[in-house]
Amino acid sequence: MAMIDTDHATDHDGPHTRTDGVRLHVQRLSPPDGRPPTATAVLIHGLLTDSLASWYFTVAPDLAAAGLEVVMYDQRGHGRSERPGSGYRLDTFVTDLERLLDRLGITGPVHLVGNCFGGTVAFAYAMRHPERVAGIAVIEAKPATESWLTEISGILRRVEEELVVHEAESLAWVSAHRGAHTARLAKSAARLVRTTTIAEDVPASRVVSEEQVRAVSCPVLAVYGADSELAGQERWLESVLPGTRTVVLPGQGHSVLAEAPTRIRELLLSWIDEREREGEHGGHTATRTAAAALEADA
Amino acid sequence: MTTVNQTAPPPAADAPAEAPVSASAHVPADVPADAPAVLAEISAMLRTMLDEYGLDDIEVTMETRFTEDLELESIDLVTLAGSLETRYGRQVNFAEFVADLELDEIIDLTVGQLVEYVVAARER
Repeated sequence: MAMIDTDHATDHDGPHTRTDGVRLHVQRLSPPDGRPPTATAVLIHGLLTDSLASWYFTVAPDLAAAGLEVVMYDQRGHGRSERPGSGYRLDTFVTDLERLLDRLGITGPVHLVGNCFGGTVAFAYAMRHPERVAGIAVIEAKPATESWLTEISGILRRVEEELVVHEAESLAWVSAHRGAHTARLAKSAARLVRTTTIAEDVPASRVVSEEQVRAVSCPVLAVYGADSELAGQERWLESVLPGTRTVVLPGQGHSVLAEAPTRIRELLLSWIDEREREGEHGGHTATRTAAAALEADA
Repeated sequence: MTTVNQTAPPPAADAPAEAPVSASAHVPADVPADAPAVLAEISAMLRTMLDEYGLDDIEVTMETRFTEDLELESIDLVTLAGSLETRYGRQVNFAEFVADLELDEIIDLTVGQLVEYVVAARER
């Protein structure tokens, strides 16, 4: 396990020194047999019940086997990363990603892959650092618009009520209806909400206007489950970002990554492969830079 | 597939010449290869993890299930994967082991399944 301190120049298990820095748990998978990677994919998980394990046990090994350098990390408060008492606005999560890639020495444009809130982080990072992003692929996610904020604030309020105020009853229900593992994840989520200001901080995040979303310059793939509450989002995204490739998977809900990993894996692999080929043939500028940077690294 | 574990020590470049040819260069010579010994070692790794949760007195057997019995969550299995690779070398590749399993199957894994995988991987 590698712990990256976003405030330290060292990447060992040292303590963090500044309050705005945090120790993050990182896992990397490389192509087999020491082959140089064709591109770098950074996988960003969702909020509360999620961790890098959702990637590690679904698409990550196959992305590496297909020749990609795969970087996964636990976002602050989640998984095996540090859980500071405060500092959970969207911008802070984006800064974590920025510092993490700096610490890892990953300077060339990367492919960001985000699930749910991780997709919102990917959109925000692409707006902040267009030159560092070759493309983004989001699953069940939307950019940090006013409507996103309303929805996520509602979810957090509900979680706070159910998991913190009525924790024992809620966990018993989850255990009976969703199984032991989901109950275990819910328990971690309850701890995160109870011991930090995440439920106040995320709703206090800065939102982006439609104009700002229009300015996203990298290629975008957006995948939704047809039965998810986010269904219909693809039409809005297509209207705001006309180049977006949208995929709606029938019979799938919000947890499509866990439920249909094979389909997600195929979509991601062909998406990244196409973007890299475009780069080789003088397509998208950022992708071309990515290919050049990788050649220089190899 | 190669798991890059940034805190793991690099493979020893000065491994003794009399080391068995079949063994991977970065596997310590004292690593056991039989199931009972591997079970004992994995149990110790699990107890260290459970200790952090204040659950250190649980008995671990081949039939113990990671989630149902030990209340581990998926991220704990990622941590365990790192410990296994550090101890047994890169032949023991948890990500590769679980690549063909569905998430539900991974969650239902028993300690015995993992022990058998480790023993088989070491013999490759």
